[in-house]
Amino acid sequence: MSDSKIELHSASKHFTAHGKQIAALQPVSLAVGQEDFVALVGPSGCGKSTVLNLMAGLLRPSSGHITYDGRELNGANRAVGYMTQKDTLLPWRTVADNIGIALELRARYVSRKERDDRVAQMISLVGLSGFEHHYPGELSGGMRKRVALARSLIYEPETLLMDEPFGALDAQLKLVLHDELLRLTRQRQMTVVFVTHDLGEAIALADRVVVFSGRPGRVKVIKDIPLGRDRDVFRIRFTDTFCRLHEILWEELKDEVRKGTDA
Amino acid sequence: MKPALKMTIDNAQDTAAQPWHGKGMLSHPALTILGRFLILVGLLLFWQWASGSILPKFWFSSPSAVFEVLRGWVLDGSLWHHLGATLLAMSIGYIAGSTVGIVSGFLLGLAPYSARIAAPFVTALYSLPKIALAPLFVILFGIGLESKIMLVAVTVFFLLLYNTLDGIKDVDPDLAEALEVMGATRGEVIRKILVPGTLPWIFAGLRIAVRYAFTATILGELIASNSGIGFLIDYSAGQFDAAGVFAAIFILVVVSVFLTEVLTRLEASALRWKN
Repeated sequence: MSDSKIELHSASKHFTAHGKQIAALQPVSLAVGQEDFVALVGPSGCGKSTVLNLMAGLLRPSSGHITYDGRELNGANRAVGYMTQKDTLLPWRTVADNIGIALELRARYVSRKERDDRVAQMISLVGLSGFEHHYPGELSGGMRKRVALARSLIYEPETLLMDEPFGALDAQLKLVLHDELLRLTRQRQMTVVFVTHDLGEAIALADRVVVFSGRPGRVKVIKDIPLGRDRDVFRIRFTDTFCRLHEILWEELKDEVRKGTDA
Repeated sequence: MKPALKMTIDNAQDTAAQPWHGKGMLSHPALTILGRFLILVGLLLFWQWASGSILPKFWFSSPSAVFEVLRGWVLDGSLWHHLGATLLAMSIGYIAGSTVGIVSGFLLGLAPYSARIAAPFVTALYSLPKIALAPLFVILFGIGLESKIMLVAVTVFFLLLYNTLDGIKDVDPDLAEALEVMGATRGEVIRKILVPGTLPWIFAGLRIAVRYAFTATILGELIASNSGIGFLIDYSAGQFDAAGVFAAIFILVVVSVFLTEVLTRLEASALRWKN
């Protein structure tokens, strides 16, 4: 796979807690192609978030290695936008200042005027008009998620890593943002790795779904989703292909989910 | 015993939630101020009456005598001279001590290894009651301004050093990681995450330090000095002038209330995001 954007070569991760080694991720090999939209699904604690942290360069693998654009990762991966599960908004900055922060950095600097314009665009995109000058502490969980999404989209990173970005949102807003996400990532030719526990969401968005098994995590099955790029997220759930894929993948996932709840 | 105690606390909360006196006339803000004013006047009148009748006037003075002393100090300018001396020593020591404290806090906070080497020495000096250094400073710097400045600076330095260090530890490392992934340099992470994230702690330290600085100045003046409010207290006490002592204490109360009020307001406007 020469056109792979991100590759995991038997990458594993274990942590040490109270003198005991805990395996978070068994050796995983996975390739994410350029402009791929890959969804990782699996029960909680299966190491999905660990995979994202490895791809973002925030964790080093305990064994194996990870390449981005063919080069081995060493330190934080600055080519990606990373939307973590916990929103990392800065509590002392307003919504607008949080969203625009990447454009203040020397690496991505734009003029004040352009920054204001792009922030305003993102704010209306994620439906936060009127909340520009609020502080994160004054927002609901769902609104904070939208700020975090806008913050990682604004600088148009070539790759987006997203960890259950829409978990806290209501169903309607979730669909609207799914639609926006697909439109944006297609238009800007972004590569996306999307972690979710919602199988329906994974199939509706992704070109490929990777099912993880329960703790310690490993890849159980990888399935292509032949729904095309111009899919309509509002209707796709009613198509036969969607239902069939959902059934097949649910067969793979349900044992893992059950194992997960037993543990 | 424990359950009974808990009951009491619960009851206390209930009472607080539903005031038993309801919203009577007593809750009007103007009446609150009037009430306070009446209490103050009542206390002063009692003091005036009591001194000379049930309390010896020589030791307890009286509001009118205290007022006379204050008037005298204002008229001959000695109030401004002594207040000025105290405030000058305090502010120079405060500014110097907190600046060096904050800067050292960041330096140590950003270099964890050096911090670990320095830790026992810093702790030893921190746990030393700073007032014990006052006689040393008098020997080294004389009874004038310099010895007070040093005492205040040393006291304030440690407060700000520790608050800054705690503040840095309190900053969520995930915030720094998020910015790093966006491409921030180390300098940018410090400027945009570490410094603003530590500010609430620094402000808290600065506010607490004002009281300590004030106390340290007065203590320094009480020990050895030739001017300042502490000097006025010590001098008046040396003359068995109770009215003078009370007058000087009155000035202290006014100044410290004023300082606390100013700092609370400054902090509230700088940290609007906290509420």
